Amino acid sequence: MKLKTGLVTLLAVGLFLGCARREPTPGVTDTEILIGNIQDLSGPMKELGLILPHGSNLYFNYINEKGGVHGRKIRMLVEDHQYNPQKTVAAAKKLIEQDRIFCFYQVIGTSPCEALRPTLEEYEIPLVAPATQSGTMSDRSRKAWKYIFHTDTGYDKQANILVDYALEENPDAKIGVIYQDDDYGANVLKGIAEAEERHGIVIQKEGYQRGATDFAGQVMNLLKGSATHVIIGGVVKEPIITMKTAAAMNYSPQFLGISPTMDHRVALAAGPAGEGFIAANFAALWNSDVEGAKLYRELFDKSGTDPKLRGMYDFYGFITAVVLVEGLERAGKRLTRERLIEGLESIKDWDAMGVFPPFSYGRNDRSAAESVFLVQVQEGKQAPITDWIE
Amino acid sequence: MAELNVKNLHMHFAGVIALNGISFSVKDGEIFSLVGPNGSGKTTLFNCINGFNRPQKGEIHYNRTDLLSRAPHQIIKLGISRTFQNLQNIPYMTVLDNVLLGDHSKISNRETVTRWFSRRQREREEASALDVLDFLGLANYEQKYLSGQPYGIQKLVEIARALVVKPKLILIDEPAAGMNDQETMEIAKIISEIRDDLGITVLVVEHDMSLVMSISDRVCVLDSGNVLALGIPEEVREHPDVIRAFLGEEAHA
Amino acid sequence: MKGRHEDENLKWIPFLILLVFILPFILRGVTFSYRYYLFILNIAGIYIILTVGLDLLSGFTGLISLGHAAFLAIGAYTSAILVDQAGVPFGVSMLITPLITGLFGIVIGFPALRISGMYLALTTMGFGFIVRRLIIALRQWTEGASGLEVSAPQLFGFAFRNDWHNYFLIYFFVIVSVVLARRIVKSKLGRAFMAIRDSEQAAQAAGISLSRYKLVSFFISAVFAGFAGVLFAHTSKLITTDHFDLLLSIKFLIFALVGGIGSIYGVVLGTLTIVLLEYLFIPIFKDWLLTMLPIEAGDIQALIFGLIMFLFIIFQPTGLYGMWLKMRIYWKLFPFNPKKRFT
Repeated sequence: MKLKTGLVTLLAVGLFLGCARREPTPGVTDTEILIGNIQDLSGPMKELGLILPHGSNLYFNYINEKGGVHGRKIRMLVEDHQYNPQKTVAAAKKLIEQDRIFCFYQVIGTSPCEALRPTLEEYEIPLVAPATQSGTMSDRSRKAWKYIFHTDTGYDKQANILVDYALEENPDAKIGVIYQDDDYGANVLKGIAEAEERHGIVIQKEGYQRGATDFAGQVMNLLKGSATHVIIGGVVKEPIITMKTAAAMNYSPQFLGISPTMDHRVALAAGPAGEGFIAANFAALWNSDVEGAKLYRELFDKSGTDPKLRGMYDFYGFITAVVLVEGLERAGKRLTRERLIEGLESIKDWDAMGVFPPFSYGRNDRSAAESVFLVQVQEGKQAPITDWIE
Repeated sequence: MAELNVKNLHMHFAGVIALNGISFSVKDGEIFSLVGPNGSGKTTLFNCINGFNRPQKGEIHYNRTDLLSRAPHQIIKLGISRTFQNLQNIPYMTVLDNVLLGDHSKISNRETVTRWFSRRQREREEASALDVLDFLGLANYEQKYLSGQPYGIQKLVEIARALVVKPKLILIDEPAAGMNDQETMEIAKIISEIRDDLGITVLVVEHDMSLVMSISDRVCVLDSGNVLALGIPEEVREHPDVIRAFLGEEAHA
Repeated sequence: MKGRHEDENLKWIPFLILLVFILPFILRGVTFSYRYYLFILNIAGIYIILTVGLDLLSGFTGLISLGHAAFLAIGAYTSAILVDQAGVPFGVSMLITPLITGLFGIVIGFPALRISGMYLALTTMGFGFIVRRLIIALRQWTEGASGLEVSAPQLFGFAFRNDWHNYFLIYFFVIVSVVLARRIVKSKLGRAFMAIRDSEQAAQAAGISLSRYKLVSFFISAVFAGFAGVLFAHTSKLITTDHFDLLLSIKFLIFALVGGIGSIYGVVLGTLTIVLLEYLFIPIFKDWLLTMLPIEAGDIQALIFGLIMFLFIIFQPTGLYGMWLKMRIYWKLFPFNPKKRFT
């Protein structure tokens, strides 16, 4: 009889445990955390597809050597999306279903990240530090906002800050903007519209098609509108060509650029025309003196990789890794996806080793940085001219 | 009385004169042949009747209907169909489908849709095509793809495609070109049967004089865009201009 | 008259349809990541519907189009706007949207009455760019370039929420589309299309108005693409202009070419093959390939695709379907001198 009761009890307990035992979180074992990264390895941005994961792995390897996060080593899988939103979703489903990753980290591009939203929602899987500065990433009116933790200052906010800066420098400034007519430009224009409303001014807007190489028409219109400050929402070649065109027309407004123009090649290629060009920057420079940049240089030198990889984008991969690791640390030992979200949400006034302006996430807040600092080209070299400004 | 009237037809391409004032008429129920050397304007004449070429001057009437004001695809609705000298079959369709193509103008759009669901409709549609294939002795070929079929078969399919709509007038362009003697005899027989059994008026363009002389009711000889002679075969054969123009050289040789 | 008008290869169609519907259950039985495979099959299914339509235009009527990604986009955005902003039910949008897309097809068909070949390719390509710019310009409805969220398909009160549901929805319509396309091809319409492709003179002599049937061909092709667009929008749930680039239009032609342009079953096979290759096999075997070949990861796909195109155009212009037909004849005649039939 006793034996029978014992067996029944055992069975009941077993059943109870069996039911209560939740399915283990995918991608998390006692020794490893598997994360998925989707980069452009063969499309229009394939150079970055190599550099960004390299920077991230510098930090992950450093953490893994120190024993990992709560004893778990971080392993990153990189898939290719060729900057194609459809392929991004396919790669994401592969990472989730086949490789069983824990979370997404740093998927590059605005439209790939946007296309990922339904998948993030369906699987309730977080995406940490998407590699785009589009303000739509932290837009809470959009699907799956809860799962996306954006680190960078959005283009809309940057545009706002640049307008403020121009008006502070010269209250009578007439401002113009050159924007790309795609998702990037749409986000810049959103910020410009906000600034117009706040200051009660009108800003002259000149659009160009992605891939354009001639900006004479836009510059001519700005000259006619006698703009004293011109905000360039371009990438690398657009500010160079615009400034050279303006110089050729003997037109010299103060040029200001959104963060993608913050590339040292702009200062190099624009030459005298680019002197005085001010660009917004959402993270500290890789060669600056902040703690994070020092650690980056030290780890880079130790890794013995080709120095050509060293630079702004490699550093960007590095610092977003710092954010992910911080979130994983805060999530605690019993790691689940909800706990990672909670961990990231608990970040308050933290500056990632001085790399970012102090930022916070919250239950309803998914945008990290809200400030930039400005860098000016002086005698062909980029020099910071402001501290973090909001 | 159905009649094809061609009156004073002039046609030139960039200075080259193809037709220089051609007039003739084809009576209902006859086999009328157009003969002449290469470049004498025979096919151009067909293309004018068919609407592919627009003559600069002249008139073509069929049953008092002006053909020159019609678009090429409207001609068949008047009961005129044609074959082509260089085969214009659709190689990647079956023989049956090629023949059915000729029946295009007779199949209504509504039938096309009901055909998707109704097998009987499909069979009705195919029945006339199968009849024509039987008539031409192609009964075993209907499911074969046209590409790779012998030249003689393709020629017959070309004729079948023109016959399936039950035209009143059929224009046959060089039926015996590239055929051997036996095949030519068969063609001659078929052309006679088209008129005798089906009651269709035949206008035929042909090189082969013996074929023309054996089947035609009347013959029209063209040379460099002019009518050289017109009449029953015996008359034309004896006509001095004709002998000089292209029998002549042979006779002297 | 027995069997005289029937297609002999109709016998295995019911088995194929059965296979299509039990395939997801098989996948679920054998693999944990079946939803990933279903997602890829869904992409293939949507592309099959479009490519079948493209085949009617380019394969059967002989009018090349590099604008089919734009038709897909028109279908996708139209349906998204109709359903989510105008409140039209999904089922109704499934009927209206293809027709609206078809009207765009007719508009693009007009230049095709005068031009063909390379010029038509360039015109349709330009159409693709215009549509993209138009979508960006109509920000008010399309949210410009930042991507439009779309609701899940809902039919008779049933919501298709995930790839499992979508599979059955998409493949039901794949079968409908293939059957419909086969019917079209085997009817007066199909004969008219082929006649226009192979001999405009014969077509006209048979009473076919070239301009009318070219427009009809563009219309039908765009209707298929528009329908694919509806399914695309509501199963992807988020569409951006980057989904519909020129590369996609080119890919559709590759699907058709590899499968055997001018054959309905051929393009189905071609689309399935290339999509599986691109989305499944290349990602899975990439690492293994990298150890074999001294190339960069990003170059693998371009290399494989280039090679496939090259080999098919040189050695197998009739595509996979042609290959299959030859194989069938080979085994039928085996061992009686089968080589002769290979020419």
